[in-house]
Amino acid sequence: MNPNRFQLITPNDLDDYLDSANEIAESSWPEFMMHDPVANENWHELFDRFSDYQFAMLDTETNRMAAMGNSLPFHWEKDLSELPEGGWDWVFIKAVEDHKNGVKPTIQSAIQIAIHPDYRGQALSTKMVQAMRAIGDSEGFKYLVAPVRPNEKSKYPLTSIDDYITWKTDEGLPFDAWLRVHARIGAKIIKPCHEAMTIRGTCAEWEEWTGMKFPQSGRYVVPGALNPIEMDVEKDEGIYIEPNVWTVHDIR
Amino acid sequence: MDTDRFQVITPSTRADYRDLVRGLTKIAWPEFMLHDQVADELWHELLDRFPEYQLALYDTENKRAATMGNSFPLRWEDSLENLPKGGWDWAFMKAVQDHKDGLSPNHHCAIQVVIHPDYRGQGLSAPMIDAVRAVTIAKGLQALIIPVRPSEKSKYPLTSIDDYITWKNEEGLPFDAWLRVHARLGGKIVKTCHESKTVRGTRADWEAWTKMKFPQSGEYVIPSALVPIQMDIEKNEGVYIEPNVWMVHEVV
Repeated sequence: MNPNRFQLITPNDLDDYLDSANEIAESSWPEFMMHDPVANENWHELFDRFSDYQFAMLDTETNRMAAMGNSLPFHWEKDLSELPEGGWDWVFIKAVEDHKNGVKPTIQSAIQIAIHPDYRGQALSTKMVQAMRAIGDSEGFKYLVAPVRPNEKSKYPLTSIDDYITWKTDEGLPFDAWLRVHARIGAKIIKPCHEAMTIRGTCAEWEEWTGMKFPQSGRYVVPGALNPIEMDVEKDEGIYIEPNVWTVHDIR
Repeated sequence: MDTDRFQVITPSTRADYRDLVRGLTKIAWPEFMLHDQVADELWHELLDRFPEYQLALYDTENKRAATMGNSFPLRWEDSLENLPKGGWDWAFMKAVQDHKDGLSPNHHCAIQVVIHPDYRGQGLSAPMIDAVRAVTIAKGLQALIIPVRPSEKSKYPLTSIDDYITWKNEEGLPFDAWLRVHARLGGKIVKTCHESKTVRGTRADWEAWTKMKFPQSGEYVIPSALVPIQMDIEKNEGVYIEPNVWMVHEVV
């Protein structure tokens, strides 16, 4: 492979950057994950407030976006072991709030790394994490933290996240492929964050998002979800609370 | 459908019956279901003791078997309401034992109806079940009973089978596609049988059957299983106990 085939670009380098990025996001996440209100309300802030932290990998042979990465800076003075259960939702809100209040950020957090399906299995995920870390480095940060979505946990929805993160491969690396990508380039697992994203929807919405039926209240295993969802038919509400894993990369 | 195209064949009408249906059972089930001990020990009895109860629909245009139905006679004098929770495994052992003991049978029990994937969605389940029911009539048996595998329950592994069988579609027919096929043809749900099939294997067996990993003891959702399996690492044993649904087709 031509080593220069993939080039890092920023949102200003490609006319249809947002459309291409959306296409990758939609192919990377199960439909229900597109309905996290924190993400939907704040997504534009990435580009309005933190555009230097958004990037993508361009395939120069086809001029297509192969992968994209989103991160943001936030202020955190306590120990990393005290990062909150709220994980992804929390850090997004915190970063926007800090920026609004003019609070100086101290840490970089990853929000998303997504690889276009056509480009998976080509080690782009490692390059993307490294590129994200390089942004933190240039901003002078010591740490890149990430509320990582251990996506293979969707095959193990009845196992607790606390147990799941202890599972190892024969090489002693994390069992989960995404946790492994981070671990291979030096990241350490801090702890799980049990309420990293909260998604609520009516029965009809969940039926549309999943192609399933929810005739009665109870727990349901939903394709692509890391835990079962809880459906309350009387209240006409289904709730998914996604656990993620706080990990940290030492940047310097 | 061209009604002349598909012919009912049995081991006695076609010398090459075994060759024609070879592989059909494997297609019908997820791998782990092929490791039910009762099935493995007794499968040969179908052709040894009950050849006239095995049949297939033969596609005369393409000269291949499109479907297969396996059944046997057994003696049951109690009410159908009292059919055992042992379902499929029980019926198979009972039929063989009755035959060995020379008990004259009074019921007909089907244990498998397979439609080759190439022939699904072509309305062959109805003529297939009619063909099985024709055997009930020809043999002068009271009713056709079936421990039905509600295969779509695999998408709802956390819902109890007792609740699941009450789910209806908008026409008021059973939610589950296989239960619906039988209901449309006049089959009635008798009750659930909670221990219809039992599959045991070592951890390594289950890993080979499912392509999953089982690093710790606990409940696991596995693809195509109707309820979670229970894995016990200390005992090196995983157990799957499949619930089915006793249905009856009355013949008059």
